Amino acid sequence: MQLPSPADSGDASPLPPPLDGNLLIDLSPLPTMVLSPSCCITRVSNRFLDSWAVTREDCVGQQLLSFIDRQLHPAGSAAILYISATIDAAVAARAERTTKQITTINATSWRARVLPIFNGAELLATVLEWQEGSAPLIEEEIVRPGLSTDEAFRILVQAVKDYAIFLLDTSGHIASWNRGAELLKGYRREEIIGKHFSVFYGTDDLAVRKPELELEICLREGRVEDEGWRYKKDGTRFWANVIITAVYKDGVHVGFGKVTRDLTERKTSESRLIAAYEESEKLKSDFLANMSHEIRTPMHGMLSACSLLLDTALTDRQKDIVYIMDESGQVLLQVINDILDYSKLASGSFSITSDIVGITSVITSVVRSVQTTMRSPVHFELFLAPELPKSVQGDPLRYRQIVHNLVNNAGKFTERGHIRIQASVQSEDEDSYVVLTEVTDTGIGIPDAGSANLFTPFTQFDATTTKRFKGTGLGLSIAKSLAELMGGRIGYRPNPERQGSIFWFTARFKKIKSLEQINAWKNNYSRGEDVHQLALGSPSPELVAELGRAASTKSLLLAEDNIINQKVMIGMLRSIGFKNVALAANGAEAVKMVRGKPAAYDMVLMDINMPILDGHKASVQIREAGIRVPIVAMTAYALKGDKERCLEHGMDDYIPKPVQKQYLIKVLCQWLLTEKDYR
Amino acid sequence: MPDPNFGEHVDLSTFSQILEMDDEDHDFSKPLVDNFFEQAEETFVQMDHALSAQDLERLSSLGHFLKGSSATLGFSLIRDSCQVIQQYGSHLNVDGSREEDAAVCLGKIREALTDVKVHTAELKEKMNEFFELE
Repeated sequence: MQLPSPADSGDASPLPPPLDGNLLIDLSPLPTMVLSPSCCITRVSNRFLDSWAVTREDCVGQQLLSFIDRQLHPAGSAAILYISATIDAAVAARAERTTKQITTINATSWRARVLPIFNGAELLATVLEWQEGSAPLIEEEIVRPGLSTDEAFRILVQAVKDYAIFLLDTSGHIASWNRGAELLKGYRREEIIGKHFSVFYGTDDLAVRKPELELEICLREGRVEDEGWRYKKDGTRFWANVIITAVYKDGVHVGFGKVTRDLTERKTSESRLIAAYEESEKLKSDFLANMSHEIRTPMHGMLSACSLLLDTALTDRQKDIVYIMDESGQVLLQVINDILDYSKLASGSFSITSDIVGITSVITSVVRSVQTTMRSPVHFELFLAPELPKSVQGDPLRYRQIVHNLVNNAGKFTERGHIRIQASVQSEDEDSYVVLTEVTDTGIGIPDAGSANLFTPFTQFDATTTKRFKGTGLGLSIAKSLAELMGGRIGYRPNPERQGSIFWFTARFKKIKSLEQINAWKNNYSRGEDVHQLALGSPSPELVAELGRAASTKSLLLAEDNIINQKVMIGMLRSIGFKNVALAANGAEAVKMVRGKPAAYDMVLMDINMPILDGHKASVQIREAGIRVPIVAMTAYALKGDKERCLEHGMDDYIPKPVQKQYLIKVLCQWLLTEKDYR
Repeated sequence: MPDPNFGEHVDLSTFSQILEMDDEDHDFSKPLVDNFFEQAEETFVQMDHALSAQDLERLSSLGHFLKGSSATLGFSLIRDSCQVIQQYGSHLNVDGSREEDAAVCLGKIREALTDVKVHTAELKEKMNEFFELE
């Protein structure tokens, strides 16, 4: 709009129409804002919009404080309050006021000049003129340098609570003390400044001059780190991690800086964690053990009752029912045992005990027990290698468990033919044997698909016949874990000769050094474990003659309950040359006689099956009395491995019945002539 | 060489060991064999009692007992019958498998006891012949 020049108007021309106040605002060179009396933004200048980088919609109609709040940086700053306070002050004074600096999100600082517009007593509006502030100036001149002053660092260090950070002078006296040091060591600043830092060390460390040494190392290396016990003001100690650094200013050594951390908390919380974990493991296994005991006790009660019931007169139908109860109970018991074993193995808390293992006796005993439960006409074969050690060190219970699992499985799945158990020494070194045990059957075998998962828990390869082949599905996986715990492996291959399976496993056993002597004897003794085999070759005639000469001076004890056998034995012994043969009719009598005259007999010939006390038990009792007289067993057992069982009970040798004279002579020569007198 | 007339009754190699212990006139073996037959008769009486009492355990131990002496002398048939009695007395079939049915066990034992008495009578005759001839 063009203003008329003064030259144009001669007479009193009318005043130009008043300026649009709004235009004045809009076009102002300053960022300007008009507020209603209630601080609502009614108008803003174009300049404002440009420099604040907002649109009209962002601000017009908004409450000032809400708008500013959105523009502020940092967000939520208390600057709002300042602006609001300044506006109030300006209105109250009806005079201009200037706000403090605020910073907006486009990284600019602003101050506002607040102009209240009054008409008489009425506030018409408030005009804000915004000016870009000089905040950067403050930032550069005051804030940043202020941060690098020593004062700032001092404040920083002082505030740290978790670490003791303090300075020492060149001789180790304490020059500063922070909050962390107070908390950690218990000394207040006043009482510790000037004291030597060795006051924190224990007597052991002081005795070896540890504090001084640390400072020496620190000067040499520039830095030293140490962990050890430190003592608080009240005498309690804590485990500390300490770092000492040498401090230089302008090349001059001025002292040391020390940072001490308390590690006891970490250590104790570590050990607390471990203890908590162990306790929970223990609770778990205690729970399992208790529960299984609680379950097993009534189980055993039930099974005993079943077996008592079977001994009474029952109808066939009743008997069938009781068989079902009994069988189910057996299976249930096995399940409980399996669960307990499996969970122990899985949690790694299974331990293998170290005891004496009679490999052959375990195998024969397992075979016997499985045999008695089998109804089918399957026959058992044992092949126990001659070089199998008589006794080894290992866990007999677990070895038995694996053997029992494999043989029992073979029994379950084999209807006809045979089950063969072989044991041999796979390898040997200076102090251990690796024994290979194989169970071969002519049963239904395993389909190829099933062989991959045999040792995985809970897989029974034939799901359709689970009713027939009872079991938990855990047996083989437990056997695998046990074999591995015994330093061996377990595996399967199909029977190459005919349909069936071969399950094998190895286990490592330690040699028993004290039985070296018996092993040496074993080497002298004839090889070959065939109990039906007659004496392998007769002893030399010279030896026989010598025996005959010696016999008259020897005194023997014969323990035999059957009078016919007694007479035959005495007849045989007499024919060899023995004149002094004492008789015992049962094991108890034999023990009494031997213990009554401990050095009287050169040898005892002991029948096994005797009433009152059998031969095994009698031998044990004689040995318990410390009497080392040679005891030779006479027994009609047919299974291989019975010799080993005798030997484990303390007997020295074994003659199969019916007694063959040549065999008897051989044994007599061995124990009366070649062995040293036990007395 | 003893009389092969014994047939299956006697295992000759075992029995000849017994005979070898004779000094003269069968002074060892004859009394021994007589002794055995006495023992056998006594055992049969006890077995009869045990059978009517249906005492399987006792039958088993009696069977074992007589088995021992018959085996020592080589009296094979008697020994075998005793083995049967011993097995079934312990609820076992002869192949080692379990026989739960007591009635079956008793039945088998009854049979075996009859057999063994027959064997014993036969063998006694043969032994008498043998010793008289010698």
